[in-house]
Amino acid sequence: MSKKEQVNEFTGASKYVLDDELAKIVNISMSLEMPLLLKGEPGTGKTMLAHAIAESLRMPLIVLNVKSNMKLVEALYQYDTLTRLNDSRFGDSTRDVSQIEDYIKMGKIGQAFSADTRTVLLIDEIDKADTDFQDDMLDVLDQMEFDIIEIDKVIRAKNRPVIVITSNAKKDLSDPFLGRCNFHHIAFPDPKMMRRIVGVHFPVLDNDIMDNAINTFYRLREIDAVEKKPATRELLNWIRALEMDPDFKPKQLVKGDVPYLGVLFKKSQDYVTAGSVISRRSRF
Amino acid sequence: MFIEFFYKLREAGIPATPTAFLTLCKALRLGLVSSLSDFYTASRAILVKSERHFDLFDQLFAHYFEGAELPDLEGFELDKMAKALLDEWLKNPKAIADAFGIDEKSLEKYSPEELLEYFKERLKEQTERHDGGSRWIGTGGTSPVGHSGYHPEGMRVGGESRNKSAVKVANERRYKDYSRSGPLTQASMGEALKRLRNLVPAGPKDQVNVEESIYQTMKNAGEIEIVFDRSLKDRLKVILMIDNGGWSMDPYVPVVQTLFNHAKSHFKDLKIYFFHNTVYDRVWEDASRFKKPVKVDEFARKDPETRLVMVGDASMAPYELMARDGSIYVPERSGLPSIERLRFLVDTFPHNVWLNPVPERMWPYTRTIMMINQLFPMFELSIDGLEGAVSQLMAA
Repeated sequence: MSKKEQVNEFTGASKYVLDDELAKIVNISMSLEMPLLLKGEPGTGKTMLAHAIAESLRMPLIVLNVKSNMKLVEALYQYDTLTRLNDSRFGDSTRDVSQIEDYIKMGKIGQAFSADTRTVLLIDEIDKADTDFQDDMLDVLDQMEFDIIEIDKVIRAKNRPVIVITSNAKKDLSDPFLGRCNFHHIAFPDPKMMRRIVGVHFPVLDNDIMDNAINTFYRLREIDAVEKKPATRELLNWIRALEMDPDFKPKQLVKGDVPYLGVLFKKSQDYVTAGSVISRRSRF
Repeated sequence: MFIEFFYKLREAGIPATPTAFLTLCKALRLGLVSSLSDFYTASRAILVKSERHFDLFDQLFAHYFEGAELPDLEGFELDKMAKALLDEWLKNPKAIADAFGIDEKSLEKYSPEELLEYFKERLKEQTERHDGGSRWIGTGGTSPVGHSGYHPEGMRVGGESRNKSAVKVANERRYKDYSRSGPLTQASMGEALKRLRNLVPAGPKDQVNVEESIYQTMKNAGEIEIVFDRSLKDRLKVILMIDNGGWSMDPYVPVVQTLFNHAKSHFKDLKIYFFHNTVYDRVWEDASRFKKPVKVDEFARKDPETRLVMVGDASMAPYELMARDGSIYVPERSGLPSIERLRFLVDTFPHNVWLNPVPERMWPYTRTIMMINQLFPMFELSIDGLEGAVSQLMAA
């Protein structure tokens, strides 16, 4: 990292534990001005990373939640025909009906482009949309500009946003799309890392609870034949639940008694499987 | 500068593009890379676009920058065995120290890197001496042992190094589970499930969605816009037949069963049957193949649209498949050879596949696999194979 970049280097945030490898990749992507594509199991902090970058670099965060039937135009801008129709009928607004521009609203990408400061643009769960959406978006992100057809005006990015794209790999992304991104796959944190993550969220957690909860959690993740394994989010919620319960003692976990199993396993089949595995274990 | 590395990656089947390589060069020029581990991170983020290639990349990186042996495919299983063995040794540093004829204390003096080198050297000697001994050394030669000598678990003796070098990180092969070739495991279940979810019927878009049409027409300020939906189609029925006889199939039976059970909600009906090696007069509903036999002839009454998925290694003695009384179980003596039974199933259910845990490159070596392959479209029981199988089942 060169000297002048150091001011803008990403080093982590208050509620986010960053591993070195990922930090490096984020910084390289920022300097190369390329979008960073993140994949990984749910609950490995893909979305959180964008929040953390925004927080630590003090940039505003703009989140585009991709939906399955979304068209690219919606992400860029919206031409509000209904309001215009309404205004032309009743004429009781301050807007000028003959000025189409008054009825153009910026979508999330549009907002990021037209913002006065550099922003962090998070495009969440890109794989939900179809391939056309992805390919069209590429051009926009590549050129850093788009055209509002209705008024024939080109919106150019004032500041190149830091772009983070997440994918849950429901669908494969197209090759040209991948070609323009940097890629990282966030692996599930190991127990050591998990301790740090829990520590960040619960600074005053009793050591006993921490040890036993994390041990139990990783044991539970080892259960085979489970469709959705509990992830970080589930662990944090579970610890919160354990903390709230005045009757709970860490010793229970050692004995193999796991309260609030429903917080960890959210599919009924998984819940049953996990329950039976635990009761089988606790007998020994 | 790293052009050779780039071509090595491409040769190995990682689809790295020239544009990506130029980007990497740009990153180098901008001074973003100052060490080998930076280079590892940067080149992976820029050149490799899918976690399924991470494992391959790690191996190549280690090979190119450290000269680690590329594991030859034949030695793959042996590789694992050797590693396990090495791990066992390393749990007991004293035993090693004794074996190498040095003092345990002097062992501690080595840095992990030196220790690794040392082990490697010694292991090579060791293998040579043991040659012709137990099977894994005899056939695997030095390469699997030499390679596993790198394994990070092996560093436990000298204490874990905190700042791992890039090559060591690469050698850890953390992304092995994401590699898409290789047999299905519980770890790759999630990925596999996603492939299976594509097993849903899709009708043509020929039904008018009235509400949406009205909305879109309004949005268009009165210009009529008609929105079409897909017509609904009934969900699929699936028959899964699993070969659960013999140890060769053991690791795969639970994986396949859980996989399809999880996907169950997507199907109208899922029936699981069991057989041993190949199908004769009956298959069984219970895994012990004893209590609930079902006659194969009965399947003629099932819906021919049902998707038939066979899972088995299809490896047996040719007579078991071809001879009239080929069954290794005495009571099954109907006079029809098994291959005719299989043909009957294929004729009854035109949508069928055979999933085989045996790697595809090994198929030509087993005659029965090739014979069954002529009847069923056969796919490897891996994530890629599953993907192929699903599209085969969905083809009209």
